[in-house]
Amino acid sequence: MNVLRAEWTKARTLQSTPWLLIGLVALTVTVGALAAASLHVRDCADPADCGEDFAKLSLAGLWLSQAVAVVIGVLAFGNEYGTRMITLTVAAVPGRLRVLAGKATVVLVLVLAAAVPGVVAAYALARTIFTRNGFPLPDAVTAASVRAAGGTVLYLALVALLALGVSALVRDTSGALSAVLALLYATPALALVVSDPTWQERLQRFSPLTAGMAIQATTNLDALPIGPWRGLGVLAAWTAAALVAGAVSFLARDA
Amino acid sequence: MSFRHLLRAEWTKLRSVSRWLLALAAAAVFTVAFSVLASSAGTTNFEGGVAVSPDGKPVADDFHFVHKPLAGDGSLVARVAEQDNTHADAMAGIMVKNGATRGASYASVAVTPGGDVRMMADFRDVDARTGTAPRWLRLDRSGTRVTTYDSADGSTWREIGRAELAGLPATVEVGMFVTSPGELIVQRSAGSTGVGERPTSGRATFADVRVDGAAGPAWASDDLVRPGFGKDPASVSGSTREAAGRFTVTGSGSIGLNEPPDDTVQIGLFGTLAGLLVLVPLGVVYITSEYRRGLIRTTFAAAPARAPVLAAKAVVLGGLTFAIGLAAALVAFFVTQPILRDHGFKPPMFPEQSLTEPRVLRAVIGAAVFLTLLTLLGLGAGAVMRRGAPAIAAVITLTLVPTFVGSVVPVAAARTLMLITPAGGFAMQRAKPATEWLVEPWSMIGPWAGFAVLGTYAAVALVAGGWLMRRRDA
Amino acid sequence: MEPSIEVRELRKRYGSTTAVDNLSFTVSPGQVCGFVGPNGAGKSTTMRVILGLDAPDAGHAHVGGQPYRTLRRPLTQVGALLDAAAVHPGRRARDHLLWMAHSNGIPARRVGEVLDLVGLAPVARRRVGGFSLGMRQRLGIAAALLGDPPVLLFDEPVNGLDPEGIVWIRGLLRGLAADGRAVLVSSHLMGELEDTADHLVVVGRGRLVVDTTVSGLLAAASGGRVDVRTSRRAEALTVLANAGATVAVTGLDGLTVTDLPAEAISAALTTAGLPFSQLSPHRATLEEAYMELTRGSVEFGAAEVSA
Repeated sequence: MNVLRAEWTKARTLQSTPWLLIGLVALTVTVGALAAASLHVRDCADPADCGEDFAKLSLAGLWLSQAVAVVIGVLAFGNEYGTRMITLTVAAVPGRLRVLAGKATVVLVLVLAAAVPGVVAAYALARTIFTRNGFPLPDAVTAASVRAAGGTVLYLALVALLALGVSALVRDTSGALSAVLALLYATPALALVVSDPTWQERLQRFSPLTAGMAIQATTNLDALPIGPWRGLGVLAAWTAAALVAGAVSFLARDA
Repeated sequence: MSFRHLLRAEWTKLRSVSRWLLALAAAAVFTVAFSVLASSAGTTNFEGGVAVSPDGKPVADDFHFVHKPLAGDGSLVARVAEQDNTHADAMAGIMVKNGATRGASYASVAVTPGGDVRMMADFRDVDARTGTAPRWLRLDRSGTRVTTYDSADGSTWREIGRAELAGLPATVEVGMFVTSPGELIVQRSAGSTGVGERPTSGRATFADVRVDGAAGPAWASDDLVRPGFGKDPASVSGSTREAAGRFTVTGSGSIGLNEPPDDTVQIGLFGTLAGLLVLVPLGVVYITSEYRRGLIRTTFAAAPARAPVLAAKAVVLGGLTFAIGLAAALVAFFVTQPILRDHGFKPPMFPEQSLTEPRVLRAVIGAAVFLTLLTLLGLGAGAVMRRGAPAIAAVITLTLVPTFVGSVVPVAAARTLMLITPAGGFAMQRAKPATEWLVEPWSMIGPWAGFAVLGTYAAVALVAGGWLMRRRDA
Repeated sequence: MEPSIEVRELRKRYGSTTAVDNLSFTVSPGQVCGFVGPNGAGKSTTMRVILGLDAPDAGHAHVGGQPYRTLRRPLTQVGALLDAAAVHPGRRARDHLLWMAHSNGIPARRVGEVLDLVGLAPVARRRVGGFSLGMRQRLGIAAALLGDPPVLLFDEPVNGLDPEGIVWIRGLLRGLAADGRAVLVSSHLMGELEDTADHLVVVGRGRLVVDTTVSGLLAAASGGRVDVRTSRRAEALTVLANAGATVAVTGLDGLTVTDLPAEAISAALTTAGLPFSQLSPHRATLEEAYMELTRGSVEFGAAEVSA
């Protein structure tokens, strides 16, 4: 489709795009490796069963790489509103829903292109470090580990699309970025000082970050505030709401 | 252009953008609102049964007491023949107390395996000297004054200290006591945190016990322990065995101030989390908007030295943020303390915090400084990167992510995170001392350490930004 | 599609300001229509509504009989230059045009062609952030021409161009009209339109002031005045005023006389013994005509500076 080609051309001719993708991969891999390197089997009370969630640890890079995914999503509209290039875009393609769909597709492709190799590399690298540190590991490819790794990739995609929706609504890069980072990072921080267990549970079940990152758990699932797929579903709901709000704003308001 | 003119120019720039003024106001409102939210969603889970000292503070007063009544003035001498090393702060000694009840006024002198002879009165340390078991201890009571001594041989006494126990009645209990504090166990592995206490049982043997004065005839043996302490009563309750004038006593617990580490002041100031989410972008945009619109060229034309422009911005925005942050912090403090009290954070476990206490005042001012330093960090990051998005993402991520990552990693890693990222700045809002008992990682470092970390980040960012401003093309 | 622009009873408000109020005009094929008015008269707003960027509160604006939003491949039907600064500074000039070409299925070679046309071929691979104002303007013109459209809208195209560029643009606009296209050019500078536009739409404070041809406007503005040049101006002024004329002083030695035919002026001056070197009908400039027309509608007028 023409719109897709145009949006792809826009994305690939921007100086920041390759850096953002590299950043996403780098953070995913290095943080996971650091997490793995910080543990050694001799710290375990019982070497046969350390009770660590190895898959989840190897994917710990998500804590930071999601910020990069947010930036990618925000820039899709933020750049155009900031430079007023949005007028050209809308003049070239008056069907605004198609523009939104085109941007969403390109953001999705970019994030997936970085997330898939990043997650795979992080998982593999962390496993070699764990083995070197003496931990006995479960099989590399299990239903749980595929869910954790695949879910991490999905999480990144959802978060980027969430940011896209917010940026179509807010139109200002800094404002949209702060809003999305606040939504993601503020609730877990709040949960630290809130001692009321009811409130803690509420926060963890409905906040996009804590609910969404439940997908990474492969062991000790009963201790989670919400099940892995349901948690990712919570994030998907937030994303859907943001996209709808952004679409309404983009379609209805003056360019 | 003199610096004064630059300041005036930057102030005009700032106040003429209504969105920015709105952001400052919003930051203050969010700080207060979020603090209220954090306070309303908290309850404490400390069980009852806390003891209260004569001046109303929560205390631990758990030990095994072998005692008899003494009417009027008198003295007690005993030799601590042996003491098991169950804990560096285990105590074996003698005490005069206003009854065998927890929280009652007392004065004591005891030896510890750690190597001191310690005098305490009313849950405060009075003085200490070096010495271990075996040791002679002596306690003289005269009206409300108590003086304690120790000796190596039982004849030459050296004074340890004196105390005034106001309101001490004529008849008091005097005797021997043994106690041993629990071991702190903090287990943090990747993904879970467990904080607990394993009780220890101290044991000591007393000999050559002598009471001078109008004392009762028989020794009573009482276990002062808070209800529900430990799971296995056999492991914590004390005991006394007397054989031929030698008393072998076991006891568990600790004596001293027992303020819980939860800091109501900090909970009431936690709204700065919301405030910083508005102020950091403001600091960034304050400089990057000039680059975006090309206004920077006009600014540099007016001030060719360039770096003073950044300094002027820092002064103007920093000063404004501090003023607004301080106002918000004060409002948040006064509004949240009653809310917290309603949610169980009340005396005696949580004494009322007053702004007149230095540490409380320090925490409130610390909250304002915290917000200011983060705003300045944003300003510096914006000057370095010249584009809003990466600067905002970097500062917010580095400030927030370590807080909750630090709550699920081992203690050493968490403390390191707090000392190397701006997240450590949250420690500036704590009024109570550093502790390892809480989930929040920033409670592990002291407020001045937090100030140092965040201050360094802001300073480095601003200096780097100023230097790059001079070097790069506009 | 028939190359035409039709604006009918257009109304657009922003908050409490009415930017365009009951505006109607048509641009026909083969015409350069000058869209003039003081700053803030509503020219840019009208163009934005024509392009479907902003929705009108009343009335409509059609291109080739259709609303812009219903056009398929609109860049091949309508080309516009609204805001030359609407570019991302980090992108190369070529790429800026390339994505637009892609969006409407325009072949990539058109990018090279239009860059050649506007004279930016040597800097095609340079990032737009380093462009001067005039270069960005040319890039915007190139974007408008990309789809070879029959309808063109230019908002202040001469802004930032050097004299050579202004001459070039004049030729370009006339050439486009000669092809049978409909061209709407807005400006607040009269001189550049004088030789270019056939048709003028003058707006002030959002309303139509006059819709006429250039020659018609000039004729109305010249209004039977006579230019006189004489070395003894002060005396001539008195004599002519006494004869019942309204006299204005122009230039170093000139007078513009109204309400008195040329023969009567000649007679009055000769009788008074005053020599004169020129006596001719006054040819109004578009600028004069415009200033008179819009005197009442200037929203952002500067204070008069006494000569």
